[in-house]
Amino acid sequence: MVANKSKPIRRDIFQAIADPTRRAIIFLLAVGAMTPNAIAEHFKSSRQAVSKHLKVLVECEVVNQEQQGREIHYHLNSEKMKEIEKWLEQFKKVMENRFNNLDQYLTKLKNQKS
Amino acid sequence: METLHDRQISLKRTFDVSLELMWEAWKNPDHLSQWWGPDAFTTTIHKMDFQEGGEWLLTMHGPDGTNYPNRSVFKEISPMKRISYDHFNPDFLAVVDFESDGEQTTLEWTMTFKTAALLQAVLKAHNAAEGLKQNGIRLQQYITEKLQKL
Repeated sequence: MVANKSKPIRRDIFQAIADPTRRAIIFLLAVGAMTPNAIAEHFKSSRQAVSKHLKVLVECEVVNQEQQGREIHYHLNSEKMKEIEKWLEQFKKVMENRFNNLDQYLTKLKNQKS
Repeated sequence: METLHDRQISLKRTFDVSLELMWEAWKNPDHLSQWWGPDAFTTTIHKMDFQEGGEWLLTMHGPDGTNYPNRSVFKEISPMKRISYDHFNPDFLAVVDFESDGEQTTLEWTMTFKTAALLQAVLKAHNAAEGLKQNGIRLQQYITEKLQKL
């Protein structure tokens, strides 16, 4: 409950993939680590805009930064990407649960009407 | 060329009620809020513009006090036949088909996650790249070209 009070902006994998530019960055990094400049070359948008997207990806933990000498390299965190599978499983459970609730509620409605 | 299959979750169940009552439980927000949330959740419906193109906003309140806001837009509403809606963040398309045999009503609820399919493709590319470091640059060019089409 304490965590709720000073809650940081919730970042999750869905925010990472919600934006087409971020999805494109994820695709690029899937192949290998890249510097911010190399990433920016693939996009028409400004370097600033690209680095904003990189920041979100880092906050979502989808991408890691690594200092190599004077350069920063961005890596894809593929473990984090696997979270979507787990999430889909949970989602299916929520759906099953919803069906149970609907079933109970309909029975109640039916009894009220008759 | 390999095609991307969208990732789907589908559930089907037969309920012991008439189609009319089932439809009522859906289209009336007072009813819908009673069963929408999972166990121990409550649901507040802020807006339910039940028509094609209409916006649907609701918040599910978890037992620990966490709020889960949801936004969707109704795509298709065919009375007593089908409801479909686009849900945002996470993005998925939900299609709910209603079918009746008189006494009972069967619901088939399918959700299609487009971005999930994308992610699977990413993971595949990532794994492929691990074994193909030398071809990495070519693969990168190939993927970048694909990106333009997404």
